Amino acid sequence: MSQWMTLLQKEMLEMWRNFKWIWVPITFILLGVKEPITSYYMPQILDAVGGLPEGAVINIPTPTAAEVLISGLSQYTTLGVLIIVLTTMGIIAAERKSGVAAMILVKPVSFHSFVTAKWAGSMILMWLSFFIGYLSTWYYTGLLFEWIPFSEFFQSFFFYALWLTVILTVTVFFSASLMAPGMSGFISLAVAIIISLVSSTLSNWLEWSPAQLTTYANEILMDKEIPDSTLPASLLAAVCIILLLYFSVFIFRKKELAA
Amino acid sequence: MSLIQISGLKKSFQGTEVIKGIDFTLEKGRCIALLGPNGAGKTTTLRMLSGLMNPTSGTISFTDAKKGEDIRDLIGYLPQFPVFYEWMSGLEFLSYVGKLAGLTSKEAKERSLELLELVGISDAKNRKTAKYSGGMKQRLGIAQALIHRPQLIMLDEPVSALDPIGRREVLDLLEGLRKETTILFSTHILSDAEEVCDEILFLHNGKIVESGTMTELRERHQQAKLDLYFKGKSEGYTPYFSNHELTLSVMTEGNRVSIFVRDIALARKAFLQEIAERNWPLEKFEVSSMTLEDVFMKVVGK
Amino acid sequence: MEELAKYAPILAPILIIQLILFIVAIIDLVRIEKTNGPKWLWALIILFINIIGPILYFVVGRRSN
Repeated sequence: MSQWMTLLQKEMLEMWRNFKWIWVPITFILLGVKEPITSYYMPQILDAVGGLPEGAVINIPTPTAAEVLISGLSQYTTLGVLIIVLTTMGIIAAERKSGVAAMILVKPVSFHSFVTAKWAGSMILMWLSFFIGYLSTWYYTGLLFEWIPFSEFFQSFFFYALWLTVILTVTVFFSASLMAPGMSGFISLAVAIIISLVSSTLSNWLEWSPAQLTTYANEILMDKEIPDSTLPASLLAAVCIILLLYFSVFIFRKKELAA
Repeated sequence: MSLIQISGLKKSFQGTEVIKGIDFTLEKGRCIALLGPNGAGKTTTLRMLSGLMNPTSGTISFTDAKKGEDIRDLIGYLPQFPVFYEWMSGLEFLSYVGKLAGLTSKEAKERSLELLELVGISDAKNRKTAKYSGGMKQRLGIAQALIHRPQLIMLDEPVSALDPIGRREVLDLLEGLRKETTILFSTHILSDAEEVCDEILFLHNGKIVESGTMTELRERHQQAKLDLYFKGKSEGYTPYFSNHELTLSVMTEGNRVSIFVRDIALARKAFLQEIAERNWPLEKFEVSSMTLEDVFMKVVGK
Repeated sequence: MEELAKYAPILAPILIIQLILFIVAIIDLVRIEKTNGPKWLWALIILFINIIGPILYFVVGRRSN
């Protein structure tokens, strides 16, 4: 346990030294506030840009608060996922490529701890950044539109973050299995996109797909209740995460550290 | 007391056998050099001993390892090109690996400071390792191998990448470490092995072709050898010597002809007479004992 | 003026964190040994591309390890 904490502390320190603790949360906040602010100021923006003929009436229906939050969340589906994958893809692959992983693993370090501590470190960064980012979406939406109850905000946050965790774990898995950080990032993104696309086109059959958690998070905001399939989808997500971690350790251990 | 026993160790990469079955035993408290030309399989052997690579077959067993004990507790390893977390300082890196090896934070820090002092980079302890020179990295690498007081430290070509001064300093450091632990280090430079070690394993084409202490090797390979230095290239003179009945073998290099002979006294007389008669431009005549280099050349079959 | 007073409480925090992001990126660029691609190019990207510039620098420009 103390070895695991040492490994985790190192991850935390590294993320502080390379400023991940600053730029990732800030990026998530900026992603989060973009939607409520642009929706609110859209009429003024159009007005300022001009180009509309005299007398033309700008008729954009004001979106509801729930709609604003949902489009806020959609920012994380695209750019948020991209940032998570890009910041996580090198977490194991880069250390192995540079040879520093071999320096560490000739010491009596458990492979299990090595992989899971890295995963835990990026999890903490991801959950915190996403929480702060989405919290600012909620705050600005409340300020500019209407206040959504905090419990609904929090429920949608939780299930959405669970899906992001799946993507993060997929990235850790490929980072442990492949030598090149770029390749592991590329494959992880491809996997995330394919799961999302397949789940949304076959949504009737794949109600329990972890990718559907994004849809359920939206439904929580719209309908103010948790859809029935949320629980099985969450459980399946948890199972995926555990299995991916298990195989990450398994493959990483099998691979020879010195190429 | 034996420390580690290796038997039938083999390693293949994509069907090509790189290590072709090696056996040896390391005694406690010795300094052993794993000597061999580039590509002989030195690095692969050390990587298997350190657990970074799995042998295709064969066993590595530590005498002192308790059942189920992680052998990484007992060894320290320095790869040929040590790398560190560039964003850590030397002290931070040492304390980090110390803690990973099971020391408490306090112990790890104390031991790190002690080792930084020992390897002579105390002044740079708070500098980021990204700013370390090659020699400093090598020293930090030695320090990290020693952090948990392992029974055996393995160093892969610890001095090959260093300039003459750095090499001198690291060799002196190794000399000092001999008192504390068993050292196995690989090198392709004979004089380094000769200087620091008391025992040598010759590795050639994935096999141990010769091994033993320096004195054993000398005795075993003792042969009468004459070194003749001529003015200018010496090749022209070789046919005479190689056809001589007293000659066992001849090696030529530049202006030197080295001749292994059956009988030193007879050969000296015969050769000198012949040279005087033919009026060859001899500059130096030397009766020499075998150097490690000669043993090396002999065992690798050149 | 009145307009400005109305928007300030909403937009000010965002401008501030944008500024933090910008400053941190510059500090890091100055301190870092090497970047992916020329350093001056990253300086230009951070300086002239608002928000995206610094983020791009951290994601792509920074050499890991």
